[in-house]
Amino acid sequence: MLTTIAIESLKRRKSTALLTLVSIVISVSLLLSVDIIRTQVKSSFTRTVSGVDVIVGAPNGQLNLLLSSVFNLSAPTKGISKKSVLSLQEDPRVSWLIPISLGDTHKGFRVIGTTNAYFQHFKYGDKQPLSFASGGLFSDAGSTVIGADIAESLGYSVADNIVISHGLGNVSFRQHDAYPFTVVGVLNKTGTPVDKAVYITLSGLEQAHSHSASSSITKPLTIKKPPVIKKSSALAKPHSSGQHGAEVHEAEHSEEHASGRDEKDHKEHHEEHYENYDIDSIRTSSVSAVMLGLENRVTALQLQYQINQRSDEPLLAILPGMALAELWQIMGNVEALLLLLSTLIVVSSLFGLATMLLATMRERYREIAVLRTIGASPATLLILVQIEALLIALAGCCISILLVLGLLHGIKPWLSSEYGVFLGNVLLTKSSAIIVLLVVVSTYLVSFFPAHAAYRRGLHRDLNDS
Amino acid sequence: MEAITKTESSYKVAIAVDGVSFSYRKGGTPVIDIPHWQLNKGEHVFLSGPSGSGKSTFLNLLSGTLTPDSGSISLLEKPFSSLSNKQRDRFRANHIGVVFQQFNLIPYLSVKQNIEAAMYFAGNPIKSKKVDERIVMLIEQLALSPQVLHVKADALSVGQQQRIAIARALINSPDVLIVDEPTSALDAKARDSFMAILKSVAKDSALVFVSHDPYMMKYFSNHLKMRNFTPPNNAASETESLKMLEGGL
Repeated sequence: MLTTIAIESLKRRKSTALLTLVSIVISVSLLLSVDIIRTQVKSSFTRTVSGVDVIVGAPNGQLNLLLSSVFNLSAPTKGISKKSVLSLQEDPRVSWLIPISLGDTHKGFRVIGTTNAYFQHFKYGDKQPLSFASGGLFSDAGSTVIGADIAESLGYSVADNIVISHGLGNVSFRQHDAYPFTVVGVLNKTGTPVDKAVYITLSGLEQAHSHSASSSITKPLTIKKPPVIKKSSALAKPHSSGQHGAEVHEAEHSEEHASGRDEKDHKEHHEEHYENYDIDSIRTSSVSAVMLGLENRVTALQLQYQINQRSDEPLLAILPGMALAELWQIMGNVEALLLLLSTLIVVSSLFGLATMLLATMRERYREIAVLRTIGASPATLLILVQIEALLIALAGCCISILLVLGLLHGIKPWLSSEYGVFLGNVLLTKSSAIIVLLVVVSTYLVSFFPAHAAYRRGLHRDLNDS
Repeated sequence: MEAITKTESSYKVAIAVDGVSFSYRKGGTPVIDIPHWQLNKGEHVFLSGPSGSGKSTFLNLLSGTLTPDSGSISLLEKPFSSLSNKQRDRFRANHIGVVFQQFNLIPYLSVKQNIEAAMYFAGNPIKSKKVDERIVMLIEQLALSPQVLHVKADALSVGQQQRIAIARALINSPDVLIVDEPTSALDAKARDSFMAILKSVAKDSALVFVSHDPYMMKYFSNHLKMRNFTPPNNAASETESLKMLEGGL
């Protein structure tokens, strides 16, 4: 009965109640949004990369290097020469190396030139390796592996051809259409920027650019046998010695021709050079950055120091864990400030609710008197006013939850493509529930003021006044 | 303090007022000062007096929304004025029906909800077929159509509101019915109709009917008049001036 009276009373004052409700919806939505985005960003932030010990790039600031190499955001840094990459590769402390070359896009999605080492060594979340939903690793220079979101949003599958565009904009006027790539693998969803990236071979990237620059086009080599990835090295060291450079390769070709080997043998030999699409064999002049996995993580700081001190080519080495923590600290302060502001807005709207109830109390004095006369105790009147406040707050919270979920679901693709923020499927967390609970408890406390006014209201005067 | 429940019909005195004094300010001039007065079960009394004579204050004391500064008020032979607030609220809901001058229905509730509210605060069940039947019967007894039950109170005519106010006051079968100037907004024909209904439905209750309209006296055999209180100037006049109720039963 009390709830019925409270609902009917609110319906009677629907204009003020509605305005108060809107105020609460806005403030609670803001608070929930900040909390959900904060949680999701933190989650997607920390799960973006794991297992990579050092990232090396040009010395353009660790934030820039982190954003471009891990988050596929920001402009890529200047690059690292092949010589430096090879020297890192030769370092005994380095277990594996993933080169990445950035700068192109496909329909707004970042294109990353890399080797099969990427799929073998890159890990995300709790050291989860990448896995294929369909297809597999690069099988030739013209092959591409795509992230789950790209496959989903663009409807690509294995054997489809795609063309990459030069530059990072969503719209590019320079297409590498003379050198299309064939999808050979689709990765499983990771909830990280990996889902939004197109991976191509470094050799394919080089050839796509050379095709654009020159009219003398040669089709990329294709091979039929599956690639062989060396366990400890992403940058393949053809012919086992590790010293086999381009010159050696050319010399071998000369020998082959001189010895009269047939064309088939020549092709097989060529495939060996290309099978892992490493920098050495395809003569890539530079890459944007390299990710390193170390034999022993203890050496990470020492290696970082040595790389940062190099005099032949200035390089910047960052430890992803530390850089992520540093970046999160910057964002964490902003997040705390946003949370504080949102909380203050909610508090102010709750006081608005109390003010609304207090303001309407004068016109309710007769109702209160009547209720008392027909047997309602002062405590009942107090509860009645609090029920009204709680009804508004609960309705506000419910509407806010639906609004925020709908809104975030709607802008989910935009958030991930524009800001690299990947929202999970379960947006409401324990902290969301705590927020709603705190709003309800605060409403109960704040509504005590008007409720107490109702409680104390003298009955006799009101009825006599009437 | 004993629990206040529905009183059995064994009492004889419905209202007993003994040495009751009341002022709105502590130590101020008493607005009410009544040495003794009582109303028996089933008796109806007409209470009149000029504006400001303390009629409404007296009714508020009877209904327990005010408590006397001194003296005692007993209802149904229970020491009503010395009950705790909570017990008095419950007692009032169960045993006293009040009809106000302006009827004082809760405007945003429907007729049925207004009546159910009175039952709810008296601690009676409201969701049953029996209750619904009782409400319909009462409404029909007051010459209203059951269709009016779902109409908001503020959408009713003055005459309809008046009857609903009576229905609400009677729904808990009160032993004491207090009616405060209910006919002031009605014409002569409507007043006659209203009084006929009231006397009929309240025949078993002790009824205190307040009005300053002498025309209404004809419906009552018992008349009681309140007169303006004059503050005592000296001890000699005190006894006389404190006696506020004139007439008898």
